[in-house]
Amino acid sequence: MQLPPSDMRPKLSSRARLQTDKVTGKPIVLYPEGVLMLNPTGHAIVSLCTGDVTFQEMVAALAARYKISAEEISPQVADYLNRLRERNLLETRTEAGP
Amino acid sequence: MNRPAPRPFSLLAEITHRCPLHCPYCSNPLQLAAEAGELATADWKRVLREASELGVLHVGFSGGEPLQRSDLVELVAAAREAGLYSNLITSSLGLSRARLAELKRAGLDSIQISFQSDEELLADRIAGTAAHARKLRAAEMVRKSGMPLTINTVLHCANIGRLEQIISLAERLGAERLELANTQYYGWAFKNRATLLPTRAQIERAIPMAAAAKKRLLGKMEVLFVVPDYYSDRPKPCMNGWGQKHLTVNPVGEVLPCPTAHEIKSLRFDNVREKSLAWIWSESDAFNRFRGTEWLPQPCHDCEFREVDFGGCRCQAALITGDAGVTDPACQFSPHRKLLTEFVEASQKDGDETALKTGELLFRQNAVR
Repeated sequence: MQLPPSDMRPKLSSRARLQTDKVTGKPIVLYPEGVLMLNPTGHAIVSLCTGDVTFQEMVAALAARYKISAEEISPQVADYLNRLRERNLLETRTEAGP
Repeated sequence: MNRPAPRPFSLLAEITHRCPLHCPYCSNPLQLAAEAGELATADWKRVLREASELGVLHVGFSGGEPLQRSDLVELVAAAREAGLYSNLITSSLGLSRARLAELKRAGLDSIQISFQSDEELLADRIAGTAAHARKLRAAEMVRKSGMPLTINTVLHCANIGRLEQIISLAERLGAERLELANTQYYGWAFKNRATLLPTRAQIERAIPMAAAAKKRLLGKMEVLFVVPDYYSDRPKPCMNGWGQKHLTVNPVGEVLPCPTAHEIKSLRFDNVREKSLAWIWSESDAFNRFRGTEWLPQPCHDCEFREVDFGGCRCQAALITGDAGVTDPACQFSPHRKLLTEFVEASQKDGDETALKTGELLFRQNAVR
């Protein structure tokens, strides 16, 4: 798995909406004709896809939260972001944030 | 049915049958609902709340042309308030800049615009009215507003040869999703099926083209194309199971397990004016008749694919064989498959004959009484 540029700032696409599912109480991402039911890790990643946080910062935050090394967690984060990107749910920018 | 009903995920709100287009492939019923019989605003708002309480996550506002309803903005706001993800399924005729801004403020999440083809002359001939240029302007307006855009093109013999150009148009318009929807032969479209059916050669050219576009545009534009069941060995998994994930409410308030369930004359549909959506979903005969796999006839009952396609499409079984309870005739194992195969063979045309012969098509008149 090739890692994204460390200064990439992933942002959840405007076509996607993160909310709490009324039935299960769990976080979900809604998009045209689709839904992602998020597990806790997925929710943590998606919550950081604000367009302000770089990939490197995201990995550092998640590594601290789950008490594992950045090296170990970064391929998993990259893989998850890639799956979001393939569903066209991610805008990725590498220029400086706002 | 003793098992508790499953959770529905999507609601198709057909808020009106009124429509400015006259498409010969329309799958709405032959007899359209008149404006006077349409559900009132308050009824629709209740339906949206009840749907959300049942677990529904997506609502598609459709029709007919949903923009014909003057209370659309209010309904979109009610959907948003109920936490539903809303999609406006429209021809775009009637979408002004001001109305788009209002819809966006009300919380509309996405817009799907139909295109009849990529080029104006053919597109307008199919729509039966001068719509294409207006659709181009509307699509641009939607993109500029930042609203996610889906393009939907219904395919048939007259436009499937332009698949590549249709895909390019969707890319140019900045669509995030492209539905290349083969005509479904129900309702009005069934009258025109001999004229509309693509040839086998056309389908064989279209399949790799759509697959290549899907791959090339991954992460940029979602491309959907399903091989039409008249040309497939396997039936479509009807609504991912009858009464499993979806409900449709039609303009007069009847609740249907699928948008074309009116084809099944032996079913009676309960109405939201009289019953709650929850009751209709879990208790009504229409939703329970074909729910699950226990009711399945042979050869479905013992078939290894029974949890894959659930016996296929009930409406097609009713329309082609007269019995909604038999295996979908699109299935290679159906004793009725020859009815479709013979029709397909009889409808093969030479290359030149795939040009649209408007003289042979029956256009919708849409007279609303």
